[in-house]
Amino acid sequence: MKRVVWTAAAILGAVLVQTALGYLFPGPGRVLDPFLLVVVYAALVGGETDGMLTGMAAGWVQDALFGGRVLGLAALSKLVVGFVAGLAGRRFLISGAPARALAVLLASLADALLVPWLASVFSVELLPLGLLELLGRAFLNSLVGGVLFALVERRLERRLS
Amino acid sequence: MTLVLSAGRVRVLFVGLVLLHLAVISHQVDGGGGATLLQRSLLLTVSPLQRAVDALLGGAAELWRGWGFHRETYRENRRLQARLRELEAELQARSPGVQEAARLRELLELRRTLPLSTIPAQVVGKEGVPWFRTLTLDRGEADGVSLDAPVLSPTGVVGRVFAVGPHACRVQLLLDRDSGAGVMIERSRVAAVVSGQVAGPGAGADDLVLKYVPERADVVVGDLVVTSGLDRIYPKGLVVGRVRFVGKGAGLFRDIRVEPSAGFDHLEEVLVVRPARESLDTPRSVLQ
Repeated sequence: MKRVVWTAAAILGAVLVQTALGYLFPGPGRVLDPFLLVVVYAALVGGETDGMLTGMAAGWVQDALFGGRVLGLAALSKLVVGFVAGLAGRRFLISGAPARALAVLLASLADALLVPWLASVFSVELLPLGLLELLGRAFLNSLVGGVLFALVERRLERRLS
Repeated sequence: MTLVLSAGRVRVLFVGLVLLHLAVISHQVDGGGGATLLQRSLLLTVSPLQRAVDALLGGAAELWRGWGFHRETYRENRRLQARLRELEAELQARSPGVQEAARLRELLELRRTLPLSTIPAQVVGKEGVPWFRTLTLDRGEADGVSLDAPVLSPTGVVGRVFAVGPHACRVQLLLDRDSGAGVMIERSRVAAVVSGQVAGPGAGADDLVLKYVPERADVVVGDLVVTSGLDRIYPKGLVVGRVRFVGKGAGLFRDIRVEPSAGFDHLEEVLVVRPARESLDTPRSVLQ
């Protein structure tokens, strides 16, 4: 139950960050994906079930508040990314900040490729994402994710010790 | 979230959820768009959250601006006592309140001049994902907003409502790849369709594309583009933008780019046009 509350709070925080970015800096609002950071963290810490459920919830919120006419694209993409990240988290040792940043980088790339692919399957028109923007988005997510995860972990460790 | 499931069950759940999402998405695609029950329910659930976030951010921004304003005034006051009056006037002119009042005055002026019934609305959410260009407004069905209602700014057409909730609605910007509006060149009356660009980010990426303009059509750089009213969504005569580039297209049509007149990056207050069949024709270029 505690974890559900924390996940909900994290998604709420992502809404806040995304809205603030769109409000203050129209460009970077589209570059950083705070929802993805929540999904990857939940997946790495909790495994594939947590990853996919968090991905689904975060994706639906993102679809409803920031998506286009067709709902569910971000939800499905993040569900898959969360599941795969959770599986990877169980199979490999992804504990240090660089490893987690790499996980966010790959998740970000996967998400950025999955959404347009799903859209093309369903004939939904999207604004194309240039290679530079795709890579920039992945690197920024990875950088912010790496720092953020390290801060959260440090805080948790302090509380436990 | 603390579910402990066997690996097999997790996979079954994963596949089930993927199939469920595919069904939900394909249902919307087959449904032909519009405000589905799903969109309405989601807007109803999440719009208060976004409204609260916007209020919180607005308050914080005001607080921050206020703090900066006072500090700056204090410093200037100490250094430049002689110029105090001038400085205060300057700072006041720069204060967000005055700017907001100016924006609202513009909007009110537009509301007066428009021969259409409109609803003023505040932008409470924008720029979420890179693939769509949408906005969330703080007005919904309860305020008289309807599906496909045109949304205007003091300088031009913004877009149209594609999902309506009871107290919020979502707007598809003209910049969106999937958008479209019937327009014409005001000078030569050449009819065309304007929509968002296919090209990715870069110079002029926020330009609109003027489609289906024949090679021999009379269009030059600087021409004013206004709505034609032929799409039965946007009333006739609203300013969309100015032609920025005219080139040779790949096929029978010209490659024409239009610089939109609505300042999409700085939208805060807009007008939503109320549905009225008889008001689809407005005088020429009322938004100039």
